[in-house]
Amino acid sequence: MTLAPALTDVHAIVDQVWTSFLGEVEPLLPADVAPGGPFPAGQAWSAAVSVSGGWDATVTVELSAALAVSLTTTMLGLEGPEAPDDADLADAVGELVNMVGGNLKSLMPGPSALSLPAVAAGRAAHASGATEIACFDGVWAGEPVRVTVHVVTDAPVDLLPQPIS
Amino acid sequence: MRAMIIDDSRAMRSILRRIVAGLEFETLEAGDGQQALDLFESGQVPDLCLVDWNMPVMDGYTFITRVRANKEWRHVTLMTVTTESEQGQIVKALAAGAHEYVIKPFTPDAIVEKLELLGLLPVEALA
Repeated sequence: MTLAPALTDVHAIVDQVWTSFLGEVEPLLPADVAPGGPFPAGQAWSAAVSVSGGWDATVTVELSAALAVSLTTTMLGLEGPEAPDDADLADAVGELVNMVGGNLKSLMPGPSALSLPAVAAGRAAHASGATEIACFDGVWAGEPVRVTVHVVTDAPVDLLPQPIS
Repeated sequence: MRAMIIDDSRAMRSILRRIVAGLEFETLEAGDGQQALDLFESGQVPDLCLVDWNMPVMDGYTFITRVRANKEWRHVTLMTVTTESEQGQIVKALAAGAHEYVIKPFTPDAIVEKLELLGLLPVEALA
């Protein structure tokens, strides 16, 4: 049996990361997205980290290029006409997936190790045979962001048991 | 007081630099544990290190153990700032010689609170 994180947990983690670094003025809202993806491949950035050990999965963040620029500008504290370059964008998007993946890992069975992020300009590519077990689509300031969790397994997938409140 | 920020992410170093510089710390930066050790060995030994855990070249755990192995650097306060929130990793960091542990994402207040607990807020920042 492969465990999947609850979508509410994925949303909560992404929201926490967003709020910490981008502030609370503009909320990150869940969004319904039509099949085919929320942004064109050439106008996106993506990053992935692998979790291996007690839980094996790949956590991927994809976001529009405009959102990647906003995120990077805010994280680097850039002001005025100064614009982030591709290395800055890759760095910030990589740190974003590092935080999302690391916090998701902490919810799942462990111990597990987190890889360093792999970042690309464009949409994410997934390993053949990878199965998507969680997907959060959101919108921030009108721009899309998607967080997915993939596993490579033939075993059935079950949700992580939630605590009884 | 001087703080060294050790993280492979320039964006994260920038965020932490703005926080500690706002508390009147002088800041140094390193992109991994080895770069940080090189700065130590060149005589640029800080009062405080904010150390990421997962870094290329030399990770945070190795850096902490190397610093703690040198008695001339025992006065340096080490605080890990990382996404690693598994209990086992926290215990490992503290056992290796870290004084405090902050989990990303964090707010500036979380960093200030930890520094206050460690008695490391400069007088200017408390005024």
